[in-house]
Amino acid sequence: MDIYVCVGSSCHLKNSKAVIDKLNSRIKKENLEDKVALRGAFCMGKCSNQGVSVKVDNNVYSVTEENADDFFDKNILGIG
Amino acid sequence: MENITDINQIKMAVLCKIAEYAYEGTLDDKKDGIPDELTDPIKPSFRCCVYREREILRQRVRLGMGRLPAGLHYSNENGSQIVYVMKAACEGCPIDRFTVTNNCHNCLAQKCIKACKFGAITKTPHGAYIDKSKCKKCGQCVKACPYNAIVDIERPCIKSCPVEAVDMDSNDLAKIDTNRCLNCGQCVQNCPFGAIGTVSMMTNVINSITRGIPVYAMIAPSIEGQFGTASIPALRAAIKDLGFKDCYEVALGADAVAWREAEELAEKIQQGKKMTTSCCPAFYNMIQKHYPEVRDCVSTTISPMMATARLIRAKDPDAEIVFIGPCIAKKNEVVSRYIDEINAAMTFDELGAMFTVKNIDPEEYEDTAQEATRYGKGFAKSGGVAAAVAKVFEEKGLEPPKLKACNGWAECKVALQMLKLGRLSEDIIEGMNCEGGCVNGPCKQTDLIISRRVFDKNVNVDKTEIVKNCMENGFEDIEMHKH
Repeated sequence: MDIYVCVGSSCHLKNSKAVIDKLNSRIKKENLEDKVALRGAFCMGKCSNQGVSVKVDNNVYSVTEENADDFFDKNILGIG
Repeated sequence: MENITDINQIKMAVLCKIAEYAYEGTLDDKKDGIPDELTDPIKPSFRCCVYREREILRQRVRLGMGRLPAGLHYSNENGSQIVYVMKAACEGCPIDRFTVTNNCHNCLAQKCIKACKFGAITKTPHGAYIDKSKCKKCGQCVKACPYNAIVDIERPCIKSCPVEAVDMDSNDLAKIDTNRCLNCGQCVQNCPFGAIGTVSMMTNVINSITRGIPVYAMIAPSIEGQFGTASIPALRAAIKDLGFKDCYEVALGADAVAWREAEELAEKIQQGKKMTTSCCPAFYNMIQKHYPEVRDCVSTTISPMMATARLIRAKDPDAEIVFIGPCIAKKNEVVSRYIDEINAAMTFDELGAMFTVKNIDPEEYEDTAQEATRYGKGFAKSGGVAAAVAKVFEEKGLEPPKLKACNGWAECKVALQMLKLGRLSEDIIEGMNCEGGCVNGPCKQTDLIISRRVFDKNVNVDKTEIVKNCMENGFEDIEMHKH
């Protein structure tokens, strides 16, 4: 599974780095390194979203440092 | 308004405006005005009319700010794609490859007709005529004509692509197949209209600097000769004056790569296996996308960029790390594979724009402290990686390996084909997609003929012991394998 985190200029200002760090630490914690790849991507055309644009399986989510854990549980682990 | 007429001037004018406003913190307000600022109110300077010029500049501003050209939307399979066609700038070059020009004398020898094995050429009262529906594009007629009257005008973008990733859309404009594309940037530097561009992360870097985040630069060894006679130590000092917290030589990571790759190769040779280098990201992409059969041969040692990044990270866990090089594929390597470890990749033209707006001339700096050996620095030139690996073999007293240095993508393809067929006699393939190596990368600032003189002079530093230099710099504790 590929998680694409937007690193365009708008999402960079919304702190895409923190979202990447958070998701990366979760991937490591759950030992999913072989199954989940974290990748950067450029503008998904959703710059007006509150959070950083993150795309999984063709769905774009708005993810912030605060809700990154919820996002991970729900859309990557499929729980909660 | 500046008088901009050629591709490089256009590119640099846009990058300088973006860098200027990003440093000021006014980019969001001023970005829409950049195309007007750079064009005359009425008189076009590089295209048919000012309106087209402004649209092209608008696309360039979008790319320069890390967005995609207008009209393109992110699609799932190619999120990390770096190279994009700016449709407004594409001239839609002729779609017929072989054309009879008016040099045709309508001669009696009819060598073109005889040379064509497909019966595509006929004689008319006005000269030879090529039937496009029969032409197989073999090029025999071009060679046969005694007057050089038949020309091959294959589109420069299509011709320059190593892997046939460039095609045409329904409007005959250039189109990139992102599943095939290496993001090597050959088309970017070969399009005569500058219609192919790359996404930039420069504004991210400037934004982080102005917000006071510790941003570390890592510069590729090919930087020698790119900014006049400025040496790497001088450039490191100049780059720090741009607001970076510190600047490291990627050649230092290259030393570590040579060391570990040599150990890996020695093991492979014992097992009777072959190996390829993995530091050129376009070459790496070529194997992953087009030669999947030999994926197992790719060195598992990380690239010099990654080694340097891990060294910096070990010293400062909060660091934001930026690679600066001549390479477009490096942006793809960072974004698609290592975005959790490296925050951005920039190119020499973007660095040049930052120097320009900050009025910094690296040639005025006189620093001399070197970090890497001459072999690590040599990674920038074709043959340099193989030479460094061989040097480590020598340092360890091992029998020298058999090296195959591939200079440019055409040689890489031949060697990979041999490897695939099991007919490669050498032990290791050094693959460099750009002819001449990174010093001739697509984002070079200075022509190879000029930069080569500075590079060859500056690269001969006193440090020559690779393993010793790695130990001194703490590489023993750095994880050097891909995760």
